[in-house]
Amino acid sequence: MSSTKAARIGEEVWKTRIDKVNAELVTLTYGSIVAQLCKDFEGDYMEVNKQLDKMGYNIGLRLIEDFLAKTNTGRCANFRETAETISKIGFKVFLNITPTVTNWTSDNKQFSLIFDENPLADFVELPDDGRAQNELWYSNILCGVLRGALEMVQMQVDAHFASDVLRGNDTTEMRVTLIRMIDDELPPGDD
Amino acid sequence: MSNLNAPNSPFVPFSPNPSIQSGVPTATPPLSASKPAQLGSSNLRYASSRKSIYDRHLNRTQRSELSKASFAFLFGEMIQYAQKQVSGIQDLEKKLNIQGYAIGQRLLELLLYREGRSAKRETRVLGILQFIAQTLYRHLFGKPADGLEKSREHEDEYMLIDHDPVVNSHISVPKEMSQLNCAAFVAGIIEAVLDGSLFPCRVTAHSVFSEQFPSKTVFLIKFEESVLEREAVLQ
Amino acid sequence: MSFYFAIIGTKDNPIYECEFGTSKQGGDGIARWPEDQRPMNQFILHSALDIVEEVQWVQRELYLKTVDRFNNLMVSCFLSAGNIKFLLLHDTKIEDPIRQFFTDVHEVYIKTLMNPFYEVDMRITSMVFDARVRAAAKKYL
Repeated sequence: MSSTKAARIGEEVWKTRIDKVNAELVTLTYGSIVAQLCKDFEGDYMEVNKQLDKMGYNIGLRLIEDFLAKTNTGRCANFRETAETISKIGFKVFLNITPTVTNWTSDNKQFSLIFDENPLADFVELPDDGRAQNELWYSNILCGVLRGALEMVQMQVDAHFASDVLRGNDTTEMRVTLIRMIDDELPPGDD
Repeated sequence: MSNLNAPNSPFVPFSPNPSIQSGVPTATPPLSASKPAQLGSSNLRYASSRKSIYDRHLNRTQRSELSKASFAFLFGEMIQYAQKQVSGIQDLEKKLNIQGYAIGQRLLELLLYREGRSAKRETRVLGILQFIAQTLYRHLFGKPADGLEKSREHEDEYMLIDHDPVVNSHISVPKEMSQLNCAAFVAGIIEAVLDGSLFPCRVTAHSVFSEQFPSKTVFLIKFEESVLEREAVLQ
Repeated sequence: MSFYFAIIGTKDNPIYECEFGTSKQGGDGIARWPEDQRPMNQFILHSALDIVEEVQWVQRELYLKTVDRFNNLMVSCFLSAGNIKFLLLHDTKIEDPIRQFFTDVHEVYIKTLMNPFYEVDMRITSMVFDARVRAAAKKYL
């Protein structure tokens, strides 16, 4: 499926099949979650990252079903198609954004998502404690979501942020790597 | 203006300088004209292309929308996470209330700011409750609250009614926790708006049986005595 | 004209303070409070809080105009929805410019507040915030 086709589908589904809420409710809810985690883990941002990833993973496992039901997307032929589906349809129907797919490795197993907008991070400025900007990935929940969702469609991936404007970087970039396809391999039996 | 040197001076000075507390001005080092002394040195980095939160227009996402599913998934995780930390429904609801509280504090200021030059602070109970039932509710949930009632038995109690709280729409509460109402999150939002406007109270969410509205929730608002006293004076 | 500005939190705690002079009519924007006046400024503002506490139930406006006087000085107040007090100590009655100054600073305050990592009543230490307040002062006062 081409990028344009995916974009069209994403736009159409967003317009016609998605129940919507005020964006600020979502932004503020996420902000409340992250702030609470930082409090609970007493500024251990590495733990917060882990927790956000875990939460995202739990979401991803359930989100994929919702996604497939709403979009009727068939199986992606290859990882490149997966990337377009994620960016033009996946992010579109949930967060109304379409991060740019770029920086493919030559083996087509790794790509980047560049976020021009990130509704989860609206209004946010990281604590000026000398550590948050070096340690916290504010939107880390998104990495977990991708990991969980793709696992449910037989792809084991790694997703992590390489940069974030909240950290003073020029872009917010997530790196997604296909580690392997998960086959339901039956052990050779001698029944 | 009280006499600063009076021993029974009622004011509590907020300067950290101890000699000032005695009411005697000293040669305190003056606040520098160019850089206030109390600002810390900032370690914050900003993207060269992007500006800070202060450049972002406050109304930019006023009418923006995201999928309801996104909220539902996040809210679900918030509940799961809180559940791990507490034992008991009341404590869980308290945790959700606290998370909503932080949001209410922000919405109070943001929504009044958005009313522009005609913005007015609410000084009466009915006024602030209407603000919540109309302005706040419309902004968050796209519709006003379904009802606002004053208790007939208790002077200090009011009820805000929601026939089908948006936040509960994707939550299925297990039978053994049927007392739980996750709209405690919204109760926190409401409580923060009331507290912030100087109508201190406690707000709790209660599931109410209704054949017509199976998800009906009543937010019970219990005001502190001081609120009633003031209302009486302002009458 | 010298100004002393403070933002007071819900517990009567100062969360931000600064002073500046007028930039109008050739003013250089630098405050010129006499040495022994400075500590007094904090008292005067703090004392005005008692009056604000009464006035706020009688007036619903956010801009309360002048709420208190001390000798030749005036205290003007802007009160936010969340009971955050913006107090300005000044020696000249210039209602409209002061209202505009408060409106701008109020907006900057809300931007600070919307950050999930900022909590109500926390001290504001952002240099950008400070720069915005001073810019508003330069623009209107």
